Amino acid sequence: MREEVIVLQEAKKRKAPHGLPFSRLAVMRVALLAAIAVFAVLTPGFLTVPSLTTLLTTTSFVGCIAIAMTFITLSGNIMSFALGATAAVSAVVFVHVLNMAGYFPAIVAALAAGALVSGAQGVLIGGLRANPIIVSIAANVLIYGCAQWLTRNETAHVLNPADTLLLKGKLFGLPVEFIVFLAATIVAQLLLSLTIFGRNLFYIGSGFRAAEAIGLPTVRTTVGAYVWAGLFSAITGITLASRFTQANMEFALHYDYDAIAAVLVGGTAIQGGSGSMLRTFVGVIAIGVIQVLLLLHGLREEWRILATGLIVLAVIVLYSSRRRN
Amino acid sequence: MARYLRSRPILVFLAVLISLVLVDRAEGNILTTATVFSSLQYFSTFGLVALGLALTMLIGEFDISVGGLFGLGGCVAVLTGNTDPWVGIAVALSTGLLFGVAQGLIITGFRLDSVAVTLGGLLTANGLAYVLTLNKTITFDNIDLALALNEPIGVVLSPRSIVVIAFFLVAILIFGTTRIGRDLIATGSDRKAAMISGVRVDRLLVASFAVSGALSALGGALLSYGLASASPTGLTDVLVPAIAAAILGGVSLSGGVGSPFGLMVGILTISVLRSGLNALGVPPFVNDVVSGTILLAVAIVDAPYLSRRLRRLALRPG
Repeated sequence: MREEVIVLQEAKKRKAPHGLPFSRLAVMRVALLAAIAVFAVLTPGFLTVPSLTTLLTTTSFVGCIAIAMTFITLSGNIMSFALGATAAVSAVVFVHVLNMAGYFPAIVAALAAGALVSGAQGVLIGGLRANPIIVSIAANVLIYGCAQWLTRNETAHVLNPADTLLLKGKLFGLPVEFIVFLAATIVAQLLLSLTIFGRNLFYIGSGFRAAEAIGLPTVRTTVGAYVWAGLFSAITGITLASRFTQANMEFALHYDYDAIAAVLVGGTAIQGGSGSMLRTFVGVIAIGVIQVLLLLHGLREEWRILATGLIVLAVIVLYSSRRRN
Repeated sequence: MARYLRSRPILVFLAVLISLVLVDRAEGNILTTATVFSSLQYFSTFGLVALGLALTMLIGEFDISVGGLFGLGGCVAVLTGNTDPWVGIAVALSTGLLFGVAQGLIITGFRLDSVAVTLGGLLTANGLAYVLTLNKTITFDNIDLALALNEPIGVVLSPRSIVVIAFFLVAILIFGTTRIGRDLIATGSDRKAAMISGVRVDRLLVASFAVSGALSALGGALLSYGLASASPTGLTDVLVPAIAAAILGGVSLSGGVGSPFGLMVGILTISVLRSGLNALGVPPFVNDVVSGTILLAVAIVDAPYLSRRLRRLALRPG
């Protein structure tokens, strides 16, 4: 009897209030973005070329990390705390190899470094089902510790700054960083939409056990998600190093938080299995606009950090569907 | 097997102690009262955070916001406690408690994943700390109190470590004498069964997040008083030893396994390791590398598929 009552209560809860129908959710999201846009246009100083150029450049750095984060969130592993650190490693590797061997070896080495650092975590998370949050926190500490050991935290300078011109400045009136971010979004979206890896990623994200039961390559797909995350983080490292013609481990510090905020604002589900790179793109721009608006209204760094936190909390509460068992 | 698991924290502790002594090559840097004192100081720095985190792990959830509340607790305590330190402690405690209750209510009310909700809580608490301190390190004027908190008592203890050890003794007592511990473990191992057998699961869950928040904020307040300063940075600094200590102390991420005593041994292990490395005079990055490696190792040991993979490796012919 008692059990029956509980089951009934559970069933009632399952239908419960918070589960907004999707259309209303979508309307809410569009309304929110429209409100941000209107507020932006009404803010003096926002619609100027320097302001917009800065916006596009800085959001692009976080943007590639957000693309990287989307792979991890989609795979059902919530987020990584180590993508900013991965980008910094790639930036340092990029500058050192650039000084020794030239441009293309440097890009390859930076990408390889990113893929290796992140892919190794993927092996533990996919192969052993180790807790992704804890593995990434451990990786974060390890990366910074080892970097200090190996580089003594010195800044690596590009000896011949002409080398980096290709990834700096403007193209078609847009900052090159933004073009790179745009290209990264498209490539990542194509990976999700057109490849078997992409299809499997959605399956393991929406139910790991089920995906395993029907024989999908869960380990390979999880490792793949982390390798791609490392590659896209490395792109942030490369563009940062090119912009500043130097690299150190302070680069991309705490980008992980802005990245997960962008992923969630875009509408990718924190539980995994639902979302897209285009959504993340929108989320990145939205977070960037909010941050620029805060700055233009005289609210400094600390308010930016609080706003990011509140946005993440609000989005998780508003968008998340009920917990899966 | 169960007995082995229960004694695992102690075995790990002994292994760490013995390897430190071996690395020291009997030069007498490790087994000194100074090392014991500094171990207990480390113990009191992240002990309360680890206790709060372990409570939520025991019930099968994971409160990642403890790192943020630790920092926020320290900042509000220093900001409000300059005239009367007890006011600062009270404000920090209630801030942590409120935060924890709010997170617990969100998690139970909307049936959300605790990692996701407390991730938002972590970033929000951290943002609040930044805003309240205006992104600066703030100083605590009551230097006398700061010194008194770290004053050695009975060679190896200090008021700070006595407070934290007292909390652990209370936790061990509560687990030993009331049904709270049993209810937590029952809920952590099988939520539906616990619910059917009459455990008020939701209430217990909110309570454990409330206690976790309050303990973390109190831990932050104690540390900031002891250091006579507080700063909003260093989000994951305390999270790394706390998680490692909890898992080394036999508290499993899958819930339903662990005890305050084991946890205490786990925290001691990490503390002895840290102060032992310092006593050996290693450069600072070694601490990061070692704690990162330990956290990675415990994540692997706690991984659900580890035994399956090992068995498959062992069965593979050749």
